[in-house]
Amino acid sequence: MAATRRGKLAYKILFCFLLVSLAPMGYLAYRLVNISQAALRKETLSMQESLAVGFADTVHKYVMTFKNVLMETAGLEEFSSMNPAKQQQYLNRIIQVHLAVLEISVINPAGAELLRTGRFLGANPEMRKFASEDFFIKVMSRGQYIGRLERFQRLYPALTIAVAVMDTKAKPPRPVGVLTAKISLNGLSSMLGMEFPPTGKSVASVVASDGFMIAHSNLEAYQPDARLSEDILKILRTQSEEKGGGDITLANGARLLGAYADVKGLDWIVYVQQPLETAYQAAAEMKSQTLSVFIWVFLVVILLSLLVAVYITQPIRILREAADRLGKGQFEDLPEIMMTDDEIGDLAQTFLTMSESLKEKTGELISAKRELEKFTKFLEKRVEARTRELKAAQDELIKKERLAAIGQMASVVGHEIRNPLAVINNSIYFIKTKLGASLESDAKIAKHIKIIESEIQQANGIINEILTYSRSRELKPERVGLDAFIEELLSVYPFPPHITVDKKLSASNPAVDLDITEMKQALRNIIGNAIEVMPESGVIRIRTAPGQNGSALVEVGDSGPGIAPDVLDKIFTPFFTTKARGTGLGLAVVRKVVERHQGRVDVESLVGKGTTFRISLPKAKA
Amino acid sequence: MHEGQQPKLLIIDDDAHLRESLAEVLELDGFECHQAGTAEAALAAAAKLLPQVVIMDIQLPDSSGFQICQHLRKKSKSTILIMMTGRFLSAEEKKQGFELGADEYFTKPFDLAELSVRIRQLLSRSRV
Repeated sequence: MAATRRGKLAYKILFCFLLVSLAPMGYLAYRLVNISQAALRKETLSMQESLAVGFADTVHKYVMTFKNVLMETAGLEEFSSMNPAKQQQYLNRIIQVHLAVLEISVINPAGAELLRTGRFLGANPEMRKFASEDFFIKVMSRGQYIGRLERFQRLYPALTIAVAVMDTKAKPPRPVGVLTAKISLNGLSSMLGMEFPPTGKSVASVVASDGFMIAHSNLEAYQPDARLSEDILKILRTQSEEKGGGDITLANGARLLGAYADVKGLDWIVYVQQPLETAYQAAAEMKSQTLSVFIWVFLVVILLSLLVAVYITQPIRILREAADRLGKGQFEDLPEIMMTDDEIGDLAQTFLTMSESLKEKTGELISAKRELEKFTKFLEKRVEARTRELKAAQDELIKKERLAAIGQMASVVGHEIRNPLAVINNSIYFIKTKLGASLESDAKIAKHIKIIESEIQQANGIINEILTYSRSRELKPERVGLDAFIEELLSVYPFPPHITVDKKLSASNPAVDLDITEMKQALRNIIGNAIEVMPESGVIRIRTAPGQNGSALVEVGDSGPGIAPDVLDKIFTPFFTTKARGTGLGLAVVRKVVERHQGRVDVESLVGKGTTFRISLPKAKA
Repeated sequence: MHEGQQPKLLIIDDDAHLRESLAEVLELDGFECHQAGTAEAALAAAAKLLPQVVIMDIQLPDSSGFQICQHLRKKSKSTILIMMTGRFLSAEEKKQGFELGADEYFTKPFDLAELSVRIRQLLSRSRV
């Protein structure tokens, strides 16, 4: 049933809802997410960059602190002129104050080490010659030097800072020695470690441009020969900017977000990295949250749209159901139609009007159909009746034609047989006459002559019967009193003595128009049959009475053996006989005669009781 | 015609046996019988013999018995004309026959004694 379906319209509306509401929203969300993600990434990167820059600044300040200490010390007015003991005091003090200072020396302009104080040096350490050392030459010419990265005690990264000690009294001032110190850079790693704790995903390092690992946020991971990986180093070397960053894909496939910043005044780089997924975690989270929100919205919109669509299409579906029922001819028991205040309501109104009109028209059609059926039935009955009549007429005609043919043949045959019969009759008469008196002496010849005569009579009788039946004689009715006619007939009828005649006439003696000859013949035939079936004794009942519809009735009954039912309906058929000798025309003549008188003959018989013929004849019209 | 002389009869029928048997029976009864099988022969015989009685079948191969009857009646009013028939004649036909001059009808096969008596009756009347 269609009513159980949601209907295509509902789906169409649903689709429109989705298209109208979700598509722009989805597009907007997609764009927003993309923009936000880009912004987030940029932000993350710039944050990482600023961390790198900040730390580069820290490194710079760190190094500058020690340079300044040396500069201040070397710049002291007295320092150039101080005695070594005094200078030693200063050096000791510096070592005491600055834990990062591993070793500090004073070198004369000739490059010979004059004083050497170190945190890990024993008493009287070896005095070295620096005259040909690169840093010494540079510091003597430029006044200061920062460089010579090395692994102190093969482990800790250390830096050499040297400043020229100037004779301020000389014009122009001239270097009178060099103050040099070896600074431990371990503190940088500690600071990085604090800034980028190992629990976090970010890793930071300070490297020299040749890849020398100066500091690393993860101290544990720090190794004496630690170097920044060549991949990253290669990228960093190609950067021309002071700071920068971006996505990096390593040779092993790992993706990183890296940022760097040059350390001012040093050929060093601060490098900060974190895995890309960590860096963009926020962006990814935002994306997934947005997606889940979008899915929820999608589901809710679908649900709401479905409800709305069903709500809108409900009246249409009801209309459709009603139309279906109308289509099946069910005008009653239509579903309740909602009359909403919109086009659908208008449609419902139109539908109701239409259904009313349809109902009316259908009613008219049905009644017209019934009329037509009635009329058709009536016509059919008429046609049937007429057909029956025609059939009967045709049958009658066929019967008549057949009888006429029989009559014609019988007439010819009868005539042709009558001649030889006449010849035989003549001849036997001649013989009889010729023999005359001698016949009396020969009884047998006399008997046989009698047999021949009797047979001639019988043959003649048969011929007469056939010719009588087949003769197309014109009826010659005379008006007679029925009872008088019967009375006269019976009075001359040669009843044999063993037959009792039981006669009861009505005495009303109704007038009837009869062809006396034919009707007498008919009644004689019936009576003759009755006598024949009662060879020993019996009663013949004769009755006259008023019949139905103004007819007069003649009954002739016998107390004979009766006629079997299967024979009874054939007895009026011409040439049907049960006798050894008989034409089978006796009762056929009866029926023919009675019917010629517009009457009818019926027979009633009970086997063992007898047979009654009932002839009804129309009374004569006054 | 002379008294005591046998009355002359002419029997006309196309059936020879019938003619002969009838003639011989009537001869026993004292008639002088002549026969004819066709209308032509009958008329010739009638003209020659002048029979007092003519017994004829109403159906002959070359003519109808009534035509012969009519012809003979025209020739002689006294000749007794008896018609023989093998079929039923309607009242109309019989009436027509009487008007043409027929005296009597007999339907085959007939009672010869009756025929003989009837002929003599008619003869005695014609004589009167």
